[in-house]
Amino acid sequence: MSASTRGGWRVALRLARREALRRKGQTVLMLVLICLPVVAVTAAAIVWRTQDVSSAESVDRRMGSADALVETTGADRVVQGFDPYDSFGTFGEDDLSPGPNLGRGDVEAVLDVLGHDRPVIPLDRDSRLFETDRGVGDMEVVTTDLAHPLADGLLERVEGKYPPGPGEVVVNQALASRGPGIGDTLTVIRKTADGEKTLDLEVVGIAESTENRGYELAAGLPGAFGETENPTGRWLVGGGPVSWDDVRALNAIGVLVASRQVLTDPPPESALDPVAGGFDEPVDQVVVSVLALVGVMVLLEVVLLAGPAFAVRAKAQAHTLALVAAAGGTPGQARRTVLASGVVIGGLGGVLGVGIGIGIGAVAVPVAQLFDTTRFGPFDVPWPLLLLVAGFGFLSAVLAAVVPAFSASRQDVVAVLAGRRGERRLSVRSPFLGLALLGAGVAGAAVGAGTSGRGGGAGSVLIAGSALVSVVGMILVVPVVIALVARSAARLPLALRFAARDASRHRTRTVPAVAAVGATVAGVVALGIAVSSQEAANADAYVPMLPDGYGSVALSADADRSAVVDVLGRSLRDDQVVDVRGVQTSTDQGELEFEFRQGGDVLMLSHWGTLGSSYVVGAKVPDYVDLSADARAEADAVLDAGGLVLMRSERSYPEGYPAPELDGGPVTVDVRRWSPEEEASTATDVASAAAPSAVVEVSRSSPAVVLFSPRLLERLGLETSTVGMFIYGPVSEEAEKDLQEALAALPTAAYLYVERGYQPDAAVRIVQVVLAALGGILMLGGTLTATFLALSDARPDLATMAAVGARPRTRRTVAAAYALVVGGVGAVLGAPVGFIPGLAISQPLTRSWETGATAVDVPWLLILTVVAGLPLLTAAAVGACARGRLPLTARID
Amino acid sequence: MSAVLELTDVTRVHGEGPAAVQALRAVSFRAHAGELVAVMGPSGSGKSTLLTLAGGLDRPTDGRVVVEGVELGALGNDERARMRRTSIGYVFQGFNLIPALTAAENVALSRELDGVAARTARAEARRVLEEVGIGDLADRFPDDMSGGQQQRVAIARAVVGERRLILADEPTGALDTETGEEILRLLRARCDAGAAGVLVTHEARHAAWADRVVFLRDGRVVDETGAESVDLLTEPAAR
Amino acid sequence: MSVKHALLALLEQEPMYGYQLRAEFEQRTGTTWPLNVGQVYTTLTRLERDGLALAESEDAEGHVIYRITDAGRVEVATWFTTPVARTQPPRDELAIKLALAVTVPGVDVGTVIQQQRSATMHALQDYTRLKRRATGSEPAELAWSLVLDSLVFAAEAEIRWLDHCESRLRRAAIERAAPTSAPTSTPTSAPAAANERSHR
Repeated sequence: MSASTRGGWRVALRLARREALRRKGQTVLMLVLICLPVVAVTAAAIVWRTQDVSSAESVDRRMGSADALVETTGADRVVQGFDPYDSFGTFGEDDLSPGPNLGRGDVEAVLDVLGHDRPVIPLDRDSRLFETDRGVGDMEVVTTDLAHPLADGLLERVEGKYPPGPGEVVVNQALASRGPGIGDTLTVIRKTADGEKTLDLEVVGIAESTENRGYELAAGLPGAFGETENPTGRWLVGGGPVSWDDVRALNAIGVLVASRQVLTDPPPESALDPVAGGFDEPVDQVVVSVLALVGVMVLLEVVLLAGPAFAVRAKAQAHTLALVAAAGGTPGQARRTVLASGVVIGGLGGVLGVGIGIGIGAVAVPVAQLFDTTRFGPFDVPWPLLLLVAGFGFLSAVLAAVVPAFSASRQDVVAVLAGRRGERRLSVRSPFLGLALLGAGVAGAAVGAGTSGRGGGAGSVLIAGSALVSVVGMILVVPVVIALVARSAARLPLALRFAARDASRHRTRTVPAVAAVGATVAGVVALGIAVSSQEAANADAYVPMLPDGYGSVALSADADRSAVVDVLGRSLRDDQVVDVRGVQTSTDQGELEFEFRQGGDVLMLSHWGTLGSSYVVGAKVPDYVDLSADARAEADAVLDAGGLVLMRSERSYPEGYPAPELDGGPVTVDVRRWSPEEEASTATDVASAAAPSAVVEVSRSSPAVVLFSPRLLERLGLETSTVGMFIYGPVSEEAEKDLQEALAALPTAAYLYVERGYQPDAAVRIVQVVLAALGGILMLGGTLTATFLALSDARPDLATMAAVGARPRTRRTVAAAYALVVGGVGAVLGAPVGFIPGLAISQPLTRSWETGATAVDVPWLLILTVVAGLPLLTAAAVGACARGRLPLTARID
Repeated sequence: MSAVLELTDVTRVHGEGPAAVQALRAVSFRAHAGELVAVMGPSGSGKSTLLTLAGGLDRPTDGRVVVEGVELGALGNDERARMRRTSIGYVFQGFNLIPALTAAENVALSRELDGVAARTARAEARRVLEEVGIGDLADRFPDDMSGGQQQRVAIARAVVGERRLILADEPTGALDTETGEEILRLLRARCDAGAAGVLVTHEARHAAWADRVVFLRDGRVVDETGAESVDLLTEPAAR
Repeated sequence: MSVKHALLALLEQEPMYGYQLRAEFEQRTGTTWPLNVGQVYTTLTRLERDGLALAESEDAEGHVIYRITDAGRVEVATWFTTPVARTQPPRDELAIKLALAVTVPGVDVGTVIQQQRSATMHALQDYTRLKRRATGSEPAELAWSLVLDSLVFAAEAEIRWLDHCESRLRRAAIERAAPTSAPTSTPTSAPAAANERSHR
């Protein structure tokens, strides 16, 4: 940098600083636009880093005050990373060679390595059932010598007594809220092979785990919850640091070690066993590329949002710059003067944004903790990341000033000095370049949509890149579109005509605002299409088991039917519940298998059922099977003749599986039984019979696949039993919840299923809402800044209007018209641009593994809302908020 | 002769307390139909304040401003705006055309604001532009016109809709003498056709186009020349 | 004003007799400077004496027709190209009147100025009214219009000068009043005022 350039920058920066102080309102607006993303990312980064618990940060919560947590594995030998939670490998477990295979009782073997003078206490984590107010729930139990100093830090006393003594227990808030509080009895249920055992403990206090909250948890002394079935032994070891060498020595006898010293101050990577070293997840190039592209798009959005403010400032400086040019200033100096505004605002905005972000992060951490069951780590400020974020803010401000800087350096000095307020003529080339880029975007997206089916991630990168290219193309087209809108404005009402023409006259201000709205809309539309398509694909793939709102109960072989009926009777009417008779395929004797043949062809039957068995029995077709009258008559006839009915519904046979075709002749049933041994199970033929048959089409979902006549089952020598119950709808969600809890309390297995249709993932719904909200906010932001900058620019024109008799509310009308022009043009341009990546990305997202079929679902309502609704809403809001006062005397005094 | 504009004992104080500035002090002033009155005075004498009060852009601290029999002080903002659309026309030194609107649209502005159909308003505007001699420039934008042409548009805008009171604030200030004279000629013609005009100027040469000249000093009328004339053709200047 | 050169310039166009010359002159200058015939003939005699014009002949009605000589043409050309010398300050009477009014006690200078301004304004209005009628672009009409403009600008200059005089007199009056009133009413401003004076 030459001395004169440096000097030029010094002057430019001084001018920019003065200008920033002189136009405080405008400066605040610019700072807000630059700051907001920095603040948001900074706060999010702090919450994320704080919430993220590193190995070193987790030491206390995992091992209390101990120096190490050791755990046997049952293996001969293990290899572990510095933190066994991150990575470990076992050796010799499948090996037949007899090894030491340490277990629960082998604390001495551990101390043989570490030294016998160390204090040691056992620490067990297990899960148990407990009686809640309404039934039975799961809980985690922690057993250790809670009074021992080594256990300090595992739990935090909230109220009551701590630590608990023998026969006593402390529970956490989540557990207490489901029933047993301080002074109550906690009834622990253990299901063992011999049946059910209960154990009563007195709750003496409330304590929270330092690791997480939200899950039900109880803690007591070792053995308080009965013998553990856990074969591995875990101990907290104190008595001084446990070195990496100690860890390696314990690994050699099959023991995993989390050592405080190793975790807080890890030895060099080279100390790791090469086997354990390779567990790091490889950096996914695709994810990195897509993230980089997303980052660029966010930067672009911020630049576009801030652009109008910089354009207006440059415009305000235009007269000064023209005077400078008339006095011999070079275009470079003019450019630097405007760019310096970006430097000053960007620098200030970056620093301010990070500062405010840290403050907001500090406030947000406890709030975020409320929504997270895992306890956060200590407050963490990731400085290098924040430096990057501040740099991002700086860069966005400088970039936002680039275009105004270049137009300032090329401005028509004569026109500016003569007070003409217009702008340079439209570039002829840029719209064509824009169209070319849009075409390239479409092509790239199409290629990306095609390739990513097989190749994995390359397509996604291509699509994201195409999205960026398309948006840039759109930005280049914006000026022409605005000019066209202005040209065709002659027939519009006054306010709109004025807004459209004025927008076109001040393109450096309007274009970024419109582009920001357009980019936002494009993003919302693209993501909306992607999410909706994915949802559509999921919904397509969903096979309902039962009609909507209907339910079923599947009973296991040993289930107590009457107990289940009792429970059902509490929440349902008697006539809602119908027994399902059928063949119990899973019994103590093994698993029954049915095969149906016609001639030599085995019929392929595919069915998932919730009734307890896919093979039901009836002398007539049970009422719960939904059939047309003709089909029912046909099926009844076959059953009457001692045959079987194959039921099929379209939903039961997803594409690729042909439905069985029958020729009308008899179908042969082969029954085999698989022996109960889990390994090396063998099948024995049980029976075989041929019987008349029919295939009927079930109009909705078929609850079972085959309906036997009782006579046929007799011939096959099979028993029928009540395999489950069919429940006629509607079953309310409340009833469902009560029933689930009540059935879980029964000693025998009974599984309730209630058909609710396809339930979109709650996360998807949230994503959609967040998308719409974020899109709305960004659109509103873009529109508002442009509108209010335009209004302040148009002050003289508004004063003129007042002088020729405009009502005060004309200002509102004009403001609303501005918002409508900016928002409307942006939305109309952005929506089609959003279709490009949206349609493209929906292809790889929804491509079915089996069929290669893809789904596209365009969320028209969302798009209509964004394209038509939001601009109108924004316009209305702007109109309502704008000051209804015209600057009356601005021109006369 | 009826007074289109009548100011009676009008006082206007800007600001309060020790910082208060008396812009006008008990000024009474009339402009009749068919009469062009010039208001002269140095900067700060209250000329512009008088004009903003007459146009209903500002309210007097004391006294009455009556336009075509209606007291402006008694009207609300909307009604005063309506007066500016239907009765009062403004011409400014800086033309103050709206650059986003064509000449015809600028002229039609007050009519459109008044609810006249855009087509009708524009036809009316073209007729008035024809009258001021620039009918062929109706579809030009202000930036593509010379200062004189712009001021003609401004005059057309001030008179369109048969408004009877024309308030002109240094309308020739930004123009050369000859073009300025053309503008004054238009203004004069409008008054001769029956409108009342108030011309604020600090140049005697322009004020001489008026029937009466009112001199303002420090917010007071200090002098006024009547309309009685000395015929130079028969009675040479006495000096 | 040079009647001699004006008549010579008219003769340059065509030979004319005395009445013709007077009528032509008044048409061009809008009867702003009325000439009497005697003045015309005296001037013509002088022109003939100086060899700038010749009394040529008498027409049917006995008018003596004068025509310009070559020397006369040179004289006219020289006249047109020579700027009018501002040797004598114009409006001397008004200036002298005001100068006396300011110095002679008991005269209200403000009234003098106002009356004069009103009178000049009247004259200006009249000139302007005449101008309003002169819209043609015929050479003769244009000539008259230009003469009117000259009078308009002169009158305007006079009014501006009167305005200027008025504001100077007012300022002088305020400054005269200031030193006596300042120390009593606003003592703090006195040093500043003193400073200002000492700088002058």
